[in-house]
Amino acid sequence: MKRWAVGLAALLLWGGAAGAESLPIRGFLQGESAYRLIQPDRCPGTQRSACREEFVLGGGRFQLELAPRGERWGFLGKAEAIQDAVGGDAEINLREGYLDLRFPALDLRLGRQVITWGVGDLIFVNDVFPKDRVAFISGLPLEYLKKGSDAANITVHWAGSSLQLVLIPRFEPDTVPEARGRLRFHDPMASVERRSTDEPSPALGNTEAGARLFGNVFGWDLSLYAYRGFFHQPTAESEPGGLRIFYPPLNVYGASGQGALLGGVLSLEGGYYDSRSDRSGLNTPVENSSVKLLAAYQRELIPDLTAGGQYFAEIMEDHGEYLNARGAGMPKRPAVRHVLTFRLTQLLWNQTLRLGLFALASPNEGDFYVNPEVKYNVTDALWAALGVNLFGGPTRTENGQFEGNSNLYAVVRYAF
Amino acid sequence: MMVPGLRRAGWVALGASLAVLAPAWPAAAQPSADDIMTRAHLAMYYPGEDLRSRVTMRLVSRDGKERLRELTMTRRDLREGGEQRYFIYFHRPPDVREMTFLVWKYPGKDDDRWLYVPALKLVRRIAASDKRSSFAGSDFSYEDVSGREPEEDTHKLLREEKVAERSAWVVESIPKEPGSVDFGRKLSWIDKATWLPLKEEYSDRRGELARVFTAGELKEVQGFWTITKRVMKNIQTGHWTEAVFTEVRYDQKLLPDLFSERSLRAPPAELTK
Repeated sequence: MKRWAVGLAALLLWGGAAGAESLPIRGFLQGESAYRLIQPDRCPGTQRSACREEFVLGGGRFQLELAPRGERWGFLGKAEAIQDAVGGDAEINLREGYLDLRFPALDLRLGRQVITWGVGDLIFVNDVFPKDRVAFISGLPLEYLKKGSDAANITVHWAGSSLQLVLIPRFEPDTVPEARGRLRFHDPMASVERRSTDEPSPALGNTEAGARLFGNVFGWDLSLYAYRGFFHQPTAESEPGGLRIFYPPLNVYGASGQGALLGGVLSLEGGYYDSRSDRSGLNTPVENSSVKLLAAYQRELIPDLTAGGQYFAEIMEDHGEYLNARGAGMPKRPAVRHVLTFRLTQLLWNQTLRLGLFALASPNEGDFYVNPEVKYNVTDALWAALGVNLFGGPTRTENGQFEGNSNLYAVVRYAF
Repeated sequence: MMVPGLRRAGWVALGASLAVLAPAWPAAAQPSADDIMTRAHLAMYYPGEDLRSRVTMRLVSRDGKERLRELTMTRRDLREGGEQRYFIYFHRPPDVREMTFLVWKYPGKDDDRWLYVPALKLVRRIAASDKRSSFAGSDFSYEDVSGREPEEDTHKLLREEKVAERSAWVVESIPKEPGSVDFGRKLSWIDKATWLPLKEEYSDRRGELARVFTAGELKEVQGFWTITKRVMKNIQTGHWTEAVFTEVRYDQKLLPDLFSERSLRAPPAELTK
């Protein structure tokens, strides 16, 4: 895969030399840094570097994008050279690389691509596609939360509605904080040094498949979703001599709707997570099946000031079995996780200065995430952002475990 | 219920009869302020059945700092003077390149608006309650781009005046719901020959001059008079925007499919060049 990326980078450079006029080449140079605000205490051996490093992010990247297109076809190649000053290494990464073919009633996209489903704002119900949570926690721009999938993506359009089919033969997990990484996280088996990761192998039976039926009905954007694949966040179980990290099978069925209401936008989404290897609720390392529900409303209060709020509930099935299967001393989650979020965005100076605040909290589990950010477009080509990622709450909760990663981040990007 | 086709034919007939009347409008029988503003609205925002144009906006701050927005704009009328759809593709600057923007405009009710963010492959619905918000950071508001219904204001014909050698009617417009807009009064200089606004002055609710619109250049394209250079100046901040329309084409038989989520995600190649 790396060799492919290098080849693409070479192609991009060759394209640049051949004449930027004929080939649409663009990209950016970015500097990025995030300073740890809260030093983690009591670090287990497997998370030593998370406690040692003052910076959770530092370095820069150079992105090149090549996007030629014709009447009925298009290509996008987006590769990055990343220099990581904290870890002291460098890598080349192909973020996206796909071919588009366009037919009268059918669109086909083949290759590495970002796929986004659902209507949530940093809350994902039907968006089962891989995410880079490390990039997100570390203060990189939002686009880095989404990872590419190597997929075949076919969308058929007829009579105002569309059906999208996605096939992903090679499983790509979420990037999450892991042992010996730079980020602090809650690890119930932190003392276990020996770990093996068991990803679904690229086989026909392991091919992830998703379908989305969507259309606009009376001004409402409606979607139905179905997915058969795997949890993208890993789970772990003990095995002789160590820990086995794996991705349990998962089906998701859901729906979403979005439309105008009282001068704002109302969004609703729901999904049923069918945890195929834990339908009884007794398989301890595997998540139980659950229902996820989201309701959101967003509205512009005065010109250039927008406010939005979301309520999200995750309802665990077979909670009784879950409680029974967990030992007496083990931490237990409630049957329902409630989450509230709030976002305020103010644009100033002809929309060149953006003040943003995002806050998420779970009233019953007590964890939270707060992200104030200032972003200024210095010129059309240059922008700079400064913000804080603050995580907190009980150590075993989704956001509480990241408290020791809370950071002050700065990103500067020059685009061409 | 009215059949859309008949409705359309009705408007065309009205337009034709007005066009016949226009050149020989007797001085004694002046059109009413409402007539002028309705015709101006149609001349500015509804010429042809559809439109396609390249728009280059120069955003200039008081100290002369410039920013550029370059976009391809398309419009399709579902009904003359009524529902419209807009599809906009941004060519630059880099941070909005390949963004697409779709508006379904309904008279008398909030628009539906969608924005596609290419980096996230995300179609996002945009709250559209405030039509006075700035369009893409410029001094033009959404209403300046897609029009404000004449019925939302009370109009009064004040006088006739020349603007750069062109005779114009000067019409005062006062919003019927003052709380819903950022201006308290608008003066329009409507060209007698083309029905296009040559100049507009917006005063804020305290009566202070706030924004001034100037038609910098008028061209006849396929028989439709078009303002190809538009300047909006914010008097209070000194910031101004010049929008230059090039490659203006009417009646391209744009398909309804262009104004859909499919196009947001994969805009037709001819719009992205």
